[in-house]
Amino acid sequence: MTDYAVELLNVSTHYYGERRPAIRNVTLRIPHGTFTLIAGPNGSGKTTLLETILGLLKPSTGVVKMLGYEIPREASRARRFCSYLPQDFMKPASEPFTAREVVAMGLSSKRSMGWLSEKDWMQVDRMLSLLGMLEHADKPFGKLSGGQQQKVMLARALVRNPKLLLLDEPFSAMDRESRSFIVKTIFPRLLEGGCTVILVSHVFELELITPNLVVEMMDGRVEEVLYADVHAPS
Amino acid sequence: MLMSMLLVSSLIAGSLAGGLCGASGAICNKLNLTTIAFAMAHGALAGAALALALNLDVLSAAMSMAIVTAILLGPLADSLRIPLDLISMILFSAYNALTFIFILLSPGPALMTERIGQLLWGSILAIRPSYILILTILLIAYLSFIAVFWRRLSSMLFDLRLAEAEGINVRLYKCVLLTLIGATIALSLRITGGFLVFSLLYLPAAASLQLFSTMKKLIAFSWIFGSISSSIGLWISLLSDLPVGSCIVIAAIILFLGSITYSRLRFKLSLREAVNLV
Repeated sequence: MTDYAVELLNVSTHYYGERRPAIRNVTLRIPHGTFTLIAGPNGSGKTTLLETILGLLKPSTGVVKMLGYEIPREASRARRFCSYLPQDFMKPASEPFTAREVVAMGLSSKRSMGWLSEKDWMQVDRMLSLLGMLEHADKPFGKLSGGQQQKVMLARALVRNPKLLLLDEPFSAMDRESRSFIVKTIFPRLLEGGCTVILVSHVFELELITPNLVVEMMDGRVEEVLYADVHAPS
Repeated sequence: MLMSMLLVSSLIAGSLAGGLCGASGAICNKLNLTTIAFAMAHGALAGAALALALNLDVLSAAMSMAIVTAILLGPLADSLRIPLDLISMILFSAYNALTFIFILLSPGPALMTERIGQLLWGSILAIRPSYILILTILLIAYLSFIAVFWRRLSSMLFDLRLAEAEGINVRLYKCVLLTLIGATIALSLRITGGFLVFSLLYLPAAASLQLFSTMKKLIAFSWIFGSISSSIGLWISLLSDLPVGSCIVIAAIILFLGSITYSRLRFKLSLREAVNLV
């Protein structure tokens, strides 16, 4: 096993046509089994950082490793062990898939030809139940409220049993009670199971759970990295 | 006897081609590939016109152009940094211009043959047993691909970027889908003609969108509506000696208008029932 779940060494990422990089000279090492909060104002590069880690954006310079895999070269192999919840993920009312189908899709890349067993379907229902969405399982995804859609998407991320969970503003439409339940109950379970959680949020109540690392971003750079009880990398 | 044989083969071919087009349209619509399919359809037309000018096999040329267009469009848009929709429209314009040039360059006798009519507005006489066999093979390949990889295809239909982020080889599946759609378009050219094949992709999908809200039903009923439109259109063309492609498209439009009307009536009735309950 590699030392770190995520490693970025002097990474810069440009969007096409832009001279100024969206993130620049980022060096960051996130140990396995930790909870990292990436904070910063709008436009500071938080989402770009997540997408660079996943290989959805190609870095212009530097080295990116995710779970020991080189990104973007080995991205498709690494992604099977990751889950991602993108920012502002809302679908219109006409979306033709049910909540249960959306969660089941999360397992399709991890199963041969995407076929799900009965055990997999039970796991899908279990995740929906955990997030209080089982009663809405057969409803069209697009007809759920914003907060409900986010819960279903979180269920989809969790059903994959990821080693690395990347969440981009996952609570923006959720009520405080739901947020509190997820952070106080689900996150600790994930961390105990060895999952590394990286959460991007510009509004996060630190009293809910203490992150192991807080990465402050500003203007595309990592301004500061605060370590709680994890040994800082040398 | 000959008439009834022609009618039966027309109905079979129409059901197969129309169904394949309808289902392809539903998939293209959900994947936002509408303009790619448009470019592919006109690429197939240009390919067929070139084959006519060079006295080559029309079906092979049409299929090759449709599939090459599908495969190259994405990388072309990426490398030129032009939006996919825009480059599809550029290719559509280029293909249309080339089609007319190739038709004009066709040898004199070719311009007077059935082949030009087939190319532009379709022909019942193009329906031969070999054509039905090829359509059947395509149908089996298409259905098998969708059935075997349904869960992964669903993920792509829901959200392409998220599917990619979860490790699905989106490029590969898209390539296979576009190849199947390209083959569907090229084969359907014979029945509807090059300028109207696009209509058969989208009118059945538009009709089923009025009535159904789950993905499986959308694809299935786009298939059914495509089959019905083609069969009715072919039958009317056979009886009235009007261009096949036009008759099929008119049938599809009538079906679409019917589905809108039914959908509105159903909504008004359910609204009235809800008000009465209150």
